[in-house]
Amino acid sequence: MLGRLPTCLVLFGALAVAVPVVAPSLIRFDEIAQKAGLQFTLRNAAAGQFHQIELTGGGVAVLDYNNDGCTDIFFTNGAAIPSLRKTGPEFFNRLFRNNCDMTFTDVTAEAGLTGEGYSMGAAVGDFDNDGFADLYVVGVHRNILYRNMGNGRFSDITAKAGVAGVDPRYGKMWAVSAGWFDYDNDGWLDLFVSNYVVWDGAKEPRCGSPERQFYCHPKEYQGLPGQLFHNNHDGTFTDVSQQSGIGKHIGKGMGVAFADMDGDGLTDIFVANDSVRGLLFHNDGQGKFSEVGLESGVALREDGYAIAGMGADFRDFDNDGKPDLVVSGIINDSFLLFRNPTQSGRLFDDYAQRTGLLMGTRQLTGWSLGMYDFDNDGWKDLFFGLSHLAELEKYLGRDSALPNRVFRNVEGKKFEDVSAAAGSAFQRAAMHRGVAFADFDNDGRVDAVVTVLNGPAKLFRNVSGGQSHWLALRLRGRQSNRMGLGAAVHVQLADGRDLYNAATTSVGYASSSEALVRFGLGANKTAKWIEIRWPSGGVQRLTNVAADQILEVDEGAKP
Amino acid sequence: MSRWLAAFLLGAGLAGGQTAPAKAAYEKANKLFVAKKFPEAAAAVSEALRLDPDLVPALTLKAKLEMASNHFEQARHALEHALLVDPKAEYAQFLYGLEAYVTNEMAEALPRFRKARQLNVKNPRAALYLGLTCESLGNTEEAMALYREAVRLEQAKGSVDAETLLPGARLLSLQGHLEESEKWVRQALKAAPNFRDSHFELARVLLKKGDAAGAVAEGETALRLTGTIVTDAQIHYLLIRAWRENGSPEKAALQADLLRSLETPKGR
Repeated sequence: MLGRLPTCLVLFGALAVAVPVVAPSLIRFDEIAQKAGLQFTLRNAAAGQFHQIELTGGGVAVLDYNNDGCTDIFFTNGAAIPSLRKTGPEFFNRLFRNNCDMTFTDVTAEAGLTGEGYSMGAAVGDFDNDGFADLYVVGVHRNILYRNMGNGRFSDITAKAGVAGVDPRYGKMWAVSAGWFDYDNDGWLDLFVSNYVVWDGAKEPRCGSPERQFYCHPKEYQGLPGQLFHNNHDGTFTDVSQQSGIGKHIGKGMGVAFADMDGDGLTDIFVANDSVRGLLFHNDGQGKFSEVGLESGVALREDGYAIAGMGADFRDFDNDGKPDLVVSGIINDSFLLFRNPTQSGRLFDDYAQRTGLLMGTRQLTGWSLGMYDFDNDGWKDLFFGLSHLAELEKYLGRDSALPNRVFRNVEGKKFEDVSAAAGSAFQRAAMHRGVAFADFDNDGRVDAVVTVLNGPAKLFRNVSGGQSHWLALRLRGRQSNRMGLGAAVHVQLADGRDLYNAATTSVGYASSSEALVRFGLGANKTAKWIEIRWPSGGVQRLTNVAADQILEVDEGAKP
Repeated sequence: MSRWLAAFLLGAGLAGGQTAPAKAAYEKANKLFVAKKFPEAAAAVSEALRLDPDLVPALTLKAKLEMASNHFEQARHALEHALLVDPKAEYAQFLYGLEAYVTNEMAEALPRFRKARQLNVKNPRAALYLGLTCESLGNTEEAMALYREAVRLEQAKGSVDAETLLPGARLLSLQGHLEESEKWVRQALKAAPNFRDSHFELARVLLKKGDAAGAVAEGETALRLTGTIVTDAQIHYLLIRAWRENGSPEKAALQADLLRSLETPKGR
């Protein structure tokens, strides 16, 4: 596009050689699931009865379950309807071990993770601080906590731990997502469960017409509260939903994301709700939360409309040190982007319009998503797993399957849809659902694993070009939780830029991403300094850190 | 029944004896419909169609009554019957599009409204609803052109309806054309000064432009008025943000409380 540049810019560009500049690279992905032996098909058991549970599900989690330094993949799966039983291997959840050569081996049986019930989402966290990532799997009336035994096997400890999710008032609930975080900074991960709606297969409402039956709108179902479980440090949890204030708020919960939105050292919670307003729980300390979505300006779309919120990520897109919020929705909702205010007491700014995301996503239906720096230029981009609701073809006159989309962050000011240049495999439409993010081949570029409703899962290997450098931090908490979830990291580059990120696995919808804290450094070969604010309150500073490495950071290490 | 056959039957006088009573029954039904006496109107239209099953105005009225009762399939059947009898029945064709539009069948609505436009290019409603359908399907350029055309057609007739202006104003605002959007909204306010939806749209535009005080004033006005689609909850949400931006968090908190008080338990 040189021909379109004003002459003065072309001349200036030719002369400006003093500062290191890396040309913006194209974000590109190869799809390698089959080649990598990652053969998984998500089954929703749809058989023309239009059960609501068929629409959701498809969560995927990434974890290094055997601590070999290579990230493994866990898929949730459906079950027969109405029995909600995994009547055959086609409904098993699956764990794939990364062989560290970008191939995967199905180790479900030996890991003991075939699962039970109609599974939806998964959350990864080391709840017992033993150094092995554990797994919480949620679904329709059945949630399971798997403790990683450290020997390649997982043990179902749900009953003993007290996290079955059965509510005294609502009984067994349908959960879509869950997430691990340490809300009281006591060094042990607590558990948040995002519950959707009351569902009984025998009393499924009928919607549409006899000629044209369709899935009912969520308004036909009663909403549910989220749940909060406090970690008792002994392998058990206490349901603190009511006393914390979380349980007072009814929603139709889908994705959940965590961040310390106001820098007070306490992790806050955002829940994307389907067709009712989003909930933002401010962590007041002392085990209490206040719901401030309305007051913060993130509860609804700018016109007061409740979008069909699906996935969420709570990260800083404009490098101002404050976590921002992105939420996906369905066609004609537009996805939401809220910028955290620079001044305290102000509202989150609605940034979807001015960044181009509003109109750029208006015809899309998004499920999981993630805000990651795919081209390592120092600005976090957006990846959306997309597909319209199943059976929507007859209403739209076009296929429900959609290709995914990636939007490049242009210096925190614009999101530019660069999907068309993201590779031929990226253009293929499918019924995408869950997405989890990790660097599976440890090359410094963030990859994505995507589930497909009744189709083969996809593994998008990031093959973006360019010479950009990167840095990843693997945190090892001591006073803080072992995985360091909730740690906020500030990096200053040699060129003076400041970058921010935080440790979380709770990203998108029904899914769980790697816990490493990543930074794209652009042309910088070192980070001038790195500051880690641990959940314990401790601050650690590292100086002159070389790029292009996974840095192990121990909270207890001497400076 | 094909149109020529209907004409033949009428011409042969086979239906002739029934046409006048059927029309009279239809006229009665229509008066009852206008008077919002819907059950009585439904009975009268049934009588009209008993006397003449192919009476297009009666079929069209039946469709309207069915749509008002959320019986969209019956409405569709009535309209398809009407259009079979008279494929150029422009109002029936418009309602046929509307039936698809309100049931979210946008792919069906699109050709139906296009045909309604073909049957009468001077009908602003057909232009407006074709525009709304195009916008729903992502064709914002054509949608905006149709909104402009709908306004032009109404202006040519002497007056522009606020509800014809607001979809264009909303799309302009979404596209970031705030000045032009404001012009459209102010025109809507001129057309109907006490229409809630217009005041709400003006408040939105002003808030986007950074005029929080103006947004508060327009939002508070909207809250006192009635409209068609804008709810109290939407206005409270706008006022939360407008008051906060205006430096009054306590007033914003009051609006949040009001909004929360409106929330009923979700679902059935």
